[in-house]
Amino acid sequence: MAKAIRSVQRIEITEEQKRQQDLEEVQNALIDSKDSILEVLQTLNHMQERGVLSLVSALFGQGDKVMDILVKKADTPETANTLKNLLLMVGVLGTLNVQQLEPILLKVNAGIARVADEKDSQEKTGIFDLMRSLRDPEINRSITLMLNFLKGMGQETESLERTTQLPENQLQHRTPNHQLK
Amino acid sequence: MPNSIHVTVNGVETPAQLDQTILQFLTESSIEIPHVCYHPALGAIETCDTCIVSVNGELVRSCSTKLKPGDRIDTISPDVKQSQTMAMDKILYNHELYCTVCDYNNGGCEVHNTVKAMKINHQSIPFDHKPYEEDNSHPFYRYDPDQCILCGRCVEACQDLQVTETLRIDWDRERPRVIWDDDVPINESSCVSCGHCSTVCPCNAMMEKGMVGEAGFLTGIAKQTLRPMIEITKGVETGYGSILAISDMESAMRDERIKKTKTVCTYCGVGCSFDVWTKDREILKVEPQMKAPANNISTCVKGKFGWSFVNSEERLTKPLIREGDSFREAEWEEALALIAGKFTEIKDKYGPQSMGFITSSKCTNEESYLMQKLARGVIGSNNVDNCSRYCQTPATVGLLRTVGHGGDSGSIKDIAMSELVIMIGTNTSESHPVLSTRIKRAQKLHGQKTIVADLRKHEMADRADLFIRPKPGSDIVWLSAVTKYIIDMGWADEDFIHEKVNGYDQFVASLQGFTLGYAEDQTGLSRETLIQIATAIYEAKTTCILWAMGVTQHIGGSDTSTAISNLLLVTGNHAKPGAGAYPLRGHNNVQGASDFGSAPANMPGYERVDDPVVRQKYEQAWGTSLPEQPGLNNHEMVEAIHDGKLKAMYLKGEDMGIVDSNINHVHSAFEKLDFFVVQDIFLTRTAEFADVVLPAAPSFEKEGTFTNTERRIQRLYQVFEPLGDSKPDWQIIMAVANRLGAGWNYEHPSEIMDEAAKLSPIYAGVTYERLEGYKSLQWPVAPDGTDSPVLYTEGFNFPDGKANLFPVKWSIPLQFPEEYDIHVNNGRLLEHFHEGNMTYKSKGISSKTPKVFLEVSPELAAERGLRDGTLVRLTSPFGSVKVECLITDRVQGKEVYLPMNDSGDAAINLLTSSEADKDTDTPAYKEINAKMEILRQEGVSPLPRINHRNGNPQPQIGVQVQKKWARKDYVFPGDLVKKGAEALWQKR
Repeated sequence: MAKAIRSVQRIEITEEQKRQQDLEEVQNALIDSKDSILEVLQTLNHMQERGVLSLVSALFGQGDKVMDILVKKADTPETANTLKNLLLMVGVLGTLNVQQLEPILLKVNAGIARVADEKDSQEKTGIFDLMRSLRDPEINRSITLMLNFLKGMGQETESLERTTQLPENQLQHRTPNHQLK
Repeated sequence: MPNSIHVTVNGVETPAQLDQTILQFLTESSIEIPHVCYHPALGAIETCDTCIVSVNGELVRSCSTKLKPGDRIDTISPDVKQSQTMAMDKILYNHELYCTVCDYNNGGCEVHNTVKAMKINHQSIPFDHKPYEEDNSHPFYRYDPDQCILCGRCVEACQDLQVTETLRIDWDRERPRVIWDDDVPINESSCVSCGHCSTVCPCNAMMEKGMVGEAGFLTGIAKQTLRPMIEITKGVETGYGSILAISDMESAMRDERIKKTKTVCTYCGVGCSFDVWTKDREILKVEPQMKAPANNISTCVKGKFGWSFVNSEERLTKPLIREGDSFREAEWEEALALIAGKFTEIKDKYGPQSMGFITSSKCTNEESYLMQKLARGVIGSNNVDNCSRYCQTPATVGLLRTVGHGGDSGSIKDIAMSELVIMIGTNTSESHPVLSTRIKRAQKLHGQKTIVADLRKHEMADRADLFIRPKPGSDIVWLSAVTKYIIDMGWADEDFIHEKVNGYDQFVASLQGFTLGYAEDQTGLSRETLIQIATAIYEAKTTCILWAMGVTQHIGGSDTSTAISNLLLVTGNHAKPGAGAYPLRGHNNVQGASDFGSAPANMPGYERVDDPVVRQKYEQAWGTSLPEQPGLNNHEMVEAIHDGKLKAMYLKGEDMGIVDSNINHVHSAFEKLDFFVVQDIFLTRTAEFADVVLPAAPSFEKEGTFTNTERRIQRLYQVFEPLGDSKPDWQIIMAVANRLGAGWNYEHPSEIMDEAAKLSPIYAGVTYERLEGYKSLQWPVAPDGTDSPVLYTEGFNFPDGKANLFPVKWSIPLQFPEEYDIHVNNGRLLEHFHEGNMTYKSKGISSKTPKVFLEVSPELAAERGLRDGTLVRLTSPFGSVKVECLITDRVQGKEVYLPMNDSGDAAINLLTSSEADKDTDTPAYKEINAKMEILRQEGVSPLPRINHRNGNPQPQIGVQVQKKWARKDYVFPGDLVKKGAEALWQKR
């Protein structure tokens, strides 16, 4: 005769047993990942030496507060603009052709060096000195270069701008695969 | 090919198929066209305008434009691009892109992905907040109008796929939004929580609450901090490109901690499959997939949201052993040793026939196979059964008699494409919710006709073209009369009968007595109604008949099922797509539990145990001798216990002490058992009588396969590790068997399937590889893996390939003395499952439907002075229940409806008798009368005001995009571009 019953005597685990179980679990985990643990410990030591640990600890300890302050601080037009400019600059950097730019940059450097050398020169340059200078091959090459640069700068590039133009006015969206080349 | 045509795409001539939209064609040709509102399950919604292309020089929406021969399609011209961009701009006006801190940033956001694909960097119309609050009222999902792009997918899904007709977009407001019913909070509407809207939403507007604040790394941040973060994110935007790159990284990181596992639902027999998203043991959401064969993107409340029971604190985590007046938790070792000792002792003392085994239709095919292998091969007893005995065995018998396979004739797709669907004794939209959506959709959009025969005016009855209420238990009479009338009128399908059916003349003779007049008297249906039914079947090219417990749970359940199949044969509605017999299986694996041999007379695949050839096959494979005589079914087991013949029982996953009929009788049997082992995930009512309770693991914690009502076999994968010390049932059965010396050595369920497939012809070609992921097979499966979506196209399953018309008689339902004047109908509710072990664990479901109630008619209420909340006692000759009343016109006269969702004082089976179907012993649950007395007149309604039944649906077709187009502020982007209205555009 087995009457219906509902009460259940649970297996009670004493605190000591529970502790023993947990300890065993942790021990096993430690042994299983011995190499990584040792390496992490080394890294932690380095961090401790440099005082990074206490910084990180404080940061996480006050996580919500710090996050809130950070975010609210960051939510200003200046910060947004900084981030925005950073992202934009990264984009612009991507469009530079460094191969072509290198010789020009070298020349600019040389020019700057020369100017640095003679920055205190009191010498004055008259119109005839200027004309005479054109005969100097170095100056003549510079002038030609600059004229070409001015010509290039005057070219129509609006359709390449991605930050000011509507997609349908952008050159890249007029190609079938949305790529410039 | 007759449909093949040629079109020109961007100047290149390409072959194409007719009957396709341009969007479908282009997508299939790998030409990417942006689209946001289009969804393959919903079709063209036409709200987003992003899929505009140029066809023969005209800018059109490619989602809704059909392909025509010779079309010249341009997808790249500046006009096309400009139109698409304008459309997208309108979307971004309604949706703020803060992807990195958005819970929907999981790679599937259509807004995000379209912005990325179109390389949109800026919007000309800036985002503008809508003047509405988030709606968080519903327990399972929330709506954020501010993020809603008004694509209308949710509305389309609610109106035309799920067909609950709750959602609309109010296009008349200055800022349109989605509204529920007549604009009430979500939780107060007619929403049935099916989850379609949150599944199809292309962005984060409609989202499962499990996801909110959980899916992302940064989304759990407190609201006050989140807003400034969104502002920074927006302020920094140098164009969306870089923002999307960062959010893509964050989204990729989420894959590390969110696990997505395919599983198969364990509620009804429809067999919905879906991905479960989890983070540790937390369920974030259930996401059904287009490739899910039975349900695509559909779910019901239980499948979408009803899984919290898996993590319930009430789960059994250790074996329990009875000791005096309580159970004691024990280790597996001790429990198994005890079971092995007792089983051996009882078997030695009383013989193998003194032991009974009951498997579960909740468990996998592999587990059902092992249970019967344990019973037959290890113990030596055919006393093995499963709960299909309680529901669908009569249907199986009816089909085996007439057409040869005990399963649905076709797939859910066949039901959807049928011209006429007849539903008899099936409360489809509550018992098989997703399947019912296919009928509701076909009826609403495609002119399908439906006839419903039921006592109760449930949703399907409400929507039916013809709803009939025959007297209880008289279905066989009107079915036979309609069949006879069809034959008499010369409407029978003579060619079909001549070619494919045996026994016609004898069958016609057997119908002699079923005249219209006789049927009119016995069923209460008018002659005109009967003729109307016959005419509808005659005029429809294809007819499906669906039936369930309202047919089978009668003393003549097998015969009525047979009559249904007879009618289908006479009218040629078998063996072709869109037609046939559909006994809707009630549990996820009712079909599979029987397919795999958990039945006293059948080995796996319905081969008989008393066939020596069959037995020999298994004896060889298992290396053991098998008992010859069919064993006891579960109904007979209860009697055998009372007779002192059955001494021990091993029962898994079945709350027999609640779901069997006449449970007082069953409980007293349990008390007489010498040794009783129950295996379950909870300490059920049945387990309370056990000597040993074994903790099992639910579907989320194991692998295996289920077979749904379409005979479709599908794999489930493991979502979680088993909780505590619980184990998958197949491992437990194997452990028990091995203690008894079986020496089984299965390491994975696939090995069990391999063994079963070798032995059972209908499963011959089933392998786990062929079922990988969302792949499925519908049995019979040939050794080469060819399956059978539609049965009998190559002949019926008899030696001569012909079907048999099987004459049947009417068994008059049980008669009760006059004092028992109330007919107690019973069955399911949408949101709870059976005794409620699983669904009451869901806080969300319980908040809206906290307890069972008795539906009483307004007439009865008036006569007896009943109100909502009146507590009554119903007493039958077998027992009594106490339950609170709910007055509704779903029931009429002296018929009441008691849902089966209670395991206490209102458990329906306290009333039911031990009478059963004469052919299968399936209890006659539906033949019960009771008398009613009022215990307390005043009370609070047992059904809260916040329940979908109190909602106010607003039917319409789709999202009504015409209303959007008629708005003053709407211009078709293609028109704008064509007009060259660049200036106008810039100004806005």
